[in-house]
Amino acid sequence: MAIKKKLTIIFILFLLLILSLYLAMYAGYKDFGINLFAKAFNLGTDDDSLILSILRYPRALKAFVAGASLALAGMFMQAVSKNPLAEPYITGISSGAGLGIVLSILLFNSVNYSFFGFLGALISSILVILFSGLSRFSVVKLILIGLSVNIFVSSLISLIILVNPNKSYTMMLILSGGVTNNEVISNFSLILIFIALLIFAFFLVPKLNYLRLDSELLESNKLGKYSSVILIIILASFFTALSVFSAGILGFVGIIAPQISKMLFGYDYRWLFVSNLLIGSSLILFADYLARIVIYPLQMPLGLVVAFIGAPVFLYFLTRKGEFLND
Amino acid sequence: MIKLENLTLSVENNLTIFKNANIEIPKNKITVLVGLNGVGKTTLLKIIAGILKPQNGKVIKKSKELFYLPQRIKYPKGITLFEYIESSFYKKNWKWFLNSEEKQKIEETLELLELSDKKDTFIENLSSGELQKANIALGLVSDADTLLLDEPTSNMDLINQIKVLDILKKLTNQGITCLVVLHDINLGASYGDYFIGLTKSNDVIVKNRPEFFTPEILNKIYGIDFKVINSDKDFHIQIFN
Repeated sequence: MAIKKKLTIIFILFLLLILSLYLAMYAGYKDFGINLFAKAFNLGTDDDSLILSILRYPRALKAFVAGASLALAGMFMQAVSKNPLAEPYITGISSGAGLGIVLSILLFNSVNYSFFGFLGALISSILVILFSGLSRFSVVKLILIGLSVNIFVSSLISLIILVNPNKSYTMMLILSGGVTNNEVISNFSLILIFIALLIFAFFLVPKLNYLRLDSELLESNKLGKYSSVILIIILASFFTALSVFSAGILGFVGIIAPQISKMLFGYDYRWLFVSNLLIGSSLILFADYLARIVIYPLQMPLGLVVAFIGAPVFLYFLTRKGEFLND
Repeated sequence: MIKLENLTLSVENNLTIFKNANIEIPKNKITVLVGLNGVGKTTLLKIIAGILKPQNGKVIKKSKELFYLPQRIKYPKGITLFEYIESSFYKKNWKWFLNSEEKQKIEETLELLELSDKKDTFIENLSSGELQKANIALGLVSDADTLLLDEPTSNMDLINQIKVLDILKKLTNQGITCLVVLHDINLGASYGDYFIGLTKSNDVIVKNRPEFFTPEILNKIYGIDFKVINSDKDFHIQIFN
């Protein structure tokens, strides 16, 4: 039956995630090998344990949260706008969160990063939506408006960094796109917020299965009193902000993971939810693994690796029979 | 039954579409709406559906639930016909799965629309006629007893058109009221019970079949000459231009 096939795919994706987790945590210059997998829950104070607990685990956690958050943010935004290009980075919502963080460093000296990040993401998503019209996003309009917001906000961030040399290092560190320790948010609150958002998402996912119907059909049958749409947009902004907290501003994941998921599962968002969670997190974990090893002993910025993987895949989707844009 | 009294609506540039129009759509019948492009057929459907508000006039609806089917529909890919119909049940609740009662309802609706054997077919593999029936099923599972269908048979071959109209005829026997925009007046004439014609001069002509299909009225609506052949055996409309 079809469900069996889908479960098999989920299982394979799960194995891929385990593999990426393993690579992200145990492989690298200091290769811990699979026999040290058991160490995970039994960390001491020896060097190996410290490397794992201070460097590798937090890093993997951040990569996991960033990837999953970006993919889910993309999924929710695309479901609401019915536009496969709606994604945190392109629509400028990631930059909005970045601006929020930069402003909070500037004005309040490193307290409440997360609050301002959320606020920034929320404001920029509201801006984009207001400009492009709530229910009838056209592909071109959304992208152009998102692009404008993105460029404007990014320039603003650059300006702020430029005129505040004493704080610019912290700001750059946070925005550069990487999962090294960046103090924006503690690991504990990162996990807590992520789980809270997942629970929030869990309740909204079935709504997406309703919103997949034709938008004019929904609108005209008061089926679609878009009350849950507002909630979904808030949720997507929160996921975006969380991804910026943990890994800076990253592109492509929010398009690629949802697109691959749709190819695997069709428009059943209950499956897509799980699939995006797995694919998004695996992608960033794997990208971070590459970032650590490709030009060792130097590290590549995560954003670069993601772009190197993401851009060709994205181009492939764009050129594939033109299906992508006519979705 | 739906009744529109003293309906007046003009859009931008003072273009009047309706002026003191009185329209009645009888229950459990197929009412066919005809007229040239741009005379306000879709507008009328939207007024009845409550999407557009007329500037003046009253809309009296004595029906449980209306379902408006727009002209062009986009379909989600990669899901089966059954899952497509399921969509409408995710409207209200937070739950991830339908209960057996709701599934039963979908099964019955598919049975009624003669779609049961297609329920596990992917949406993108259905014919245009089957897709249109799937949309009608969406309306029926949401408890609509009045269907407002905007050109449900456009882009269809003759067989598919007839299949959809046959289903509508069947539905009227089950207590469903249909208001359908059709461009093929011969098909309309053979399936419709009542007819509404909209003319360019903002007149609204509401009549039953024998009174509606006269050369004078058709000429008023379409602006060209018609010949109506109406014998006991034979009924069709011929166009002279």
